[in-house]
Amino acid sequence: MKRALLLVGALFLALPGSAVAAGDGEFDPAHEWELKPWVEIQIGPIDMSINKAVAYLILGSIVSIAIGIAFMRVKTGRGPTRRQALGETIYEIAQVQVAEQGLPTRAIGRWFPYVASLMVFIWTLNMLGFIPLPLSDERFELFGVELPTLAIFAATSTLSVTLALALMTWTFTHVEGIREHGSWGYFKTWIPDVPKVMLPLIIPLEILGQFMRLISLSVRLYANMLAGHMLILTFIGLMFVLENVFLAVISVPAATVFYLFEVVIVVSIQAYIFAALSAIYIGSAIEPEH
Amino acid sequence: MLSSFLVLAAAEDGADAGKAIALALGIGLGSLGAGIGIGNIFGSMIQAVARQPELRGELQGIQWLGFALTEAVVFYGLIGGLLAYVLV
Repeated sequence: MKRALLLVGALFLALPGSAVAAGDGEFDPAHEWELKPWVEIQIGPIDMSINKAVAYLILGSIVSIAIGIAFMRVKTGRGPTRRQALGETIYEIAQVQVAEQGLPTRAIGRWFPYVASLMVFIWTLNMLGFIPLPLSDERFELFGVELPTLAIFAATSTLSVTLALALMTWTFTHVEGIREHGSWGYFKTWIPDVPKVMLPLIIPLEILGQFMRLISLSVRLYANMLAGHMLILTFIGLMFVLENVFLAVISVPAATVFYLFEVVIVVSIQAYIFAALSAIYIGSAIEPEH
Repeated sequence: MLSSFLVLAAAEDGADAGKAIALALGIGLGSLGAGIGIGNIFGSMIQAVARQPELRGELQGIQWLGFALTEAVVFYGLIGGLLAYVLV
């Protein structure tokens, strides 16, 4: 109960973010995804500017490193503390549910660190996306001081971030497959046992299938987080679009319900799925099933 | 409240209406399929646990994997709809 109240309070804190977005006349939830560069860095043709998403990524990596240090570096010996128990739970999920599900036993030692840190990192990024933080493009004045508004934004709700993560898994999959079977041998494992007549049809489909993995892996996470934030913003924004304050009776509870659904279920499920699918892909490259 | 919706709807021209329909169809038809699929997964899970309650732990991992894979279909529809909305 206490926790639910806290979450509702957090949601109310996020309100000013959408209120100021409505300040320039028109409210559009999509404004949240316009990434303005804060620090311009240009290396050749590549735009490396630091913007909101990059700031969230930096914060996310700091927090996930802190999670690792706080929960995994525990003094053992005396009775298990709560911290140790939580750390062991995280480890067990990563080990039993993610790594052992997809990776063959002999590859776990090599790839467990990757899938486990992927899980913790994505979970942290998703979770940070639902905590109102003063990292936003909009400003408001409080006692004459300009402060950034509190807003909710997840780095994983931009396609570039999830695509980079998926690209990493995809590259590792093929590198590991080639190392295990050799280039030609690895390519042959893609093709299932079918009559020779079917081969011209099957081979392009299988090659396409490898690229579809990249798309499905990245778009699943991206669209989940985008849709979650969009729903919450749209429900709260309904008040500003229709300019009727009494809509708060409907829109705030509805937004709260979606917020709770996202925080309780979607955040963890998506982190788990991304890590588990990475493990399955890498595992299937090492030990093909057919 | 309804009247303000109508005013809003009347203000947009035909092209915007088409875009809105594309977006709605994308997510609507996508969620239709995913709804059936997710119902199937949880229904089967309930049956499986009812028959063999001791397998619950093992089945849960598969259940959530299937849930996420099915649920993603909605978002492919949503992204398709958004692409139609933004690009066309």
